[in-house]
Amino acid sequence: MTVGLRLFLSSAAFGIVISIAYWFTSREIVGTFLLGVMAFALCFVAGYMIVAEREADLVGDDRDATNASAAGELVGTYTIRSPLPLGAAFAITAVAVGIVISPTIAILALVATLAFGALFIIQSR
Amino acid sequence: MGKSSLVSATAVNPIGDVRRSDLLSWITTTDHKRIGILYLLTSLAYFGIAGILAMLIRTQLARPENTFVTSHEYAQLFTLHGTAMIFLFVAPFALGLANFLIPLQIGAADMAFPRLNATSYWLFFFGGLVVFLGAATNEGAAASGWSAYPPLSEIKVSTGLGQDLWIVGVFLVSVATILTSINFVTTVFIYRAPGMTMWRIPIFTWEMVATSLLIFMAFPSLAATLLLLFVDRHFGGHAFDPAYGGDPVLWQHLFWFFGHPEVYVMILPYFGVISEIIPVFSRKPIFGYTGLVLAAFAIAGLSMGVWAHHMFTTGFVNNPFFSFVSFLIAVPTGVKFFNWIATMWRGSITFETPMLFAIGFLLNFLIGGITGVMISSPPIDYQAHDSYFVVAHFHYVLGGGSLFAIFAALFFWWPKMFGVKLNERLGTWCFWLLFIGFNVTFLPMHFMGIFGMPRRVFTYAAGGPLPILNLIATCGSYVMCVGVLLFVYNAIVSARARDPVPNDPWGANSLEWWTTSPPPEHNFDSLPPIRSERPVYDAR
Repeated sequence: MTVGLRLFLSSAAFGIVISIAYWFTSREIVGTFLLGVMAFALCFVAGYMIVAEREADLVGDDRDATNASAAGELVGTYTIRSPLPLGAAFAITAVAVGIVISPTIAILALVATLAFGALFIIQSR
Repeated sequence: MGKSSLVSATAVNPIGDVRRSDLLSWITTTDHKRIGILYLLTSLAYFGIAGILAMLIRTQLARPENTFVTSHEYAQLFTLHGTAMIFLFVAPFALGLANFLIPLQIGAADMAFPRLNATSYWLFFFGGLVVFLGAATNEGAAASGWSAYPPLSEIKVSTGLGQDLWIVGVFLVSVATILTSINFVTTVFIYRAPGMTMWRIPIFTWEMVATSLLIFMAFPSLAATLLLLFVDRHFGGHAFDPAYGGDPVLWQHLFWFFGHPEVYVMILPYFGVISEIIPVFSRKPIFGYTGLVLAAFAIAGLSMGVWAHHMFTTGFVNNPFFSFVSFLIAVPTGVKFFNWIATMWRGSITFETPMLFAIGFLLNFLIGGITGVMISSPPIDYQAHDSYFVVAHFHYVLGGGSLFAIFAALFFWWPKMFGVKLNERLGTWCFWLLFIGFNVTFLPMHFMGIFGMPRRVFTYAAGGPLPILNLIATCGSYVMCVGVLLFVYNAIVSARARDPVPNDPWGANSLEWWTTSPPPEHNFDSLPPIRSERPVYDAR
């Protein structure tokens, strides 16, 4: 079991314990609900990691790995420049501000946001 | 938009070399180092604005019954000051530092999701602008405090556009923060170099993992709460309106479920900074590596169970539960202090500027921590609540703590980021101005609180001890301002001097010091064997 998985499992266990402890000491619904949602989310991530880790074989987890251990490994490519993040963030901001000041701006910005989202997907292929 | 494989060898220019033709490459960059630097510069710019607002606040309070600003303007000033310091400076600065450092410290070429990383930065950038945009509206900026309690933030009281823009801006920043934390955790879990097991990653990176975990758990609550408030204001919701069955205390629960972990989002990364700096200038390995890591996660976990200690005086929460858990946090924090002092114990300590700021952090944060333990006790909190004692407390934690660690980080990693070292003599002056100015400003605030001065009130009566205490605090804030300006001057002087620095100017331990200063676009030409948490020390 990796450290990452252990981390999320123990966090999930902590979330469950503190939710139960809080309910029995306080009988207060809002706080118990918030802690319960937190515990559920942590359990979900821990569960996901249990499934995902079956495929994991990382050189970073091997104490004795050397540079040669990762030699020739395809670690992917990195986009070093892209205008999409700036455009997408601007469009998302315009949607949010548009809801406040002008529905027309919000609708136009929403279209732009969807377009940027599509471009992200296309560029990722 | 071109893609570059890991073997790309284009060096990144130092910041001082930015030419106009480079501007496009900076605003379209997805390189984690440049995004980190953009985060740092943007958050420092927001800090500059927040600092100016703080000076206006202190100028207003310099004399009793002063009319430098009106009560409504004062409310806008402290709302924007708090918002900028918390949402736009202290926390995002840590995200910028982590953006720059995490891939370098774990031997990776970049973050796991570079374009998501850039999107997060721009959302933060625009979110900050939207918050400040409120000041340009007819009725001015939001004036309900950074905690935006209903009914103050409801449409009946805050009728202007400023409050809406505040909600939208903070919402965008919170989304950006969540996205960035996902990037951090994925990068650390997946992209570590060969041999860089989790128990060998530097403490700063560990602290950022703990911080990211906190962000996952806490920030969705903020985002959801802001949406509820927006629905209340514009779409007929009544979540916080008691006239229609809503409950303003619900806001306090939801907000502080985010708000108290946010305090640790603003301090855990800086525990990491201090844990990196102290061993280097003590010439010793960090004492109790495992203990420091476990303490970080203990703090993170416990901080999720203390939110209602901000609500003791409402009478609607289980005070003993929240008091007990708040006291418990002192234990792992004490472990950290013990480890830092043990690291320095019998070390060959040198007092370069980063170490001065680290020691300043320890002294200031200790005071903030102790007053925090005091107000964890409901009987004391009932007396101190909403008084200047609380203002002093959280400024000692976030100003004396985080701010000093921020300056420590700037002086320490500046050579790695920009390829030049900041002037040591100016740095020492900067430290003493800030240290003296800080304590002259905020120490008297404890006494103001004890003498009954409430926070968020724009003036006070003449007579009694408050006028002289406030005047002292205002003088201290001007001294701090000079210290900050001296830092800016130092940065300009150092950039002009262009004295190149070696890869590792401090004799440090972690992997970022293995590569060139500044690092190339692909981060490393080669990696040393990684067999401990101090690979660069091992390779020397």
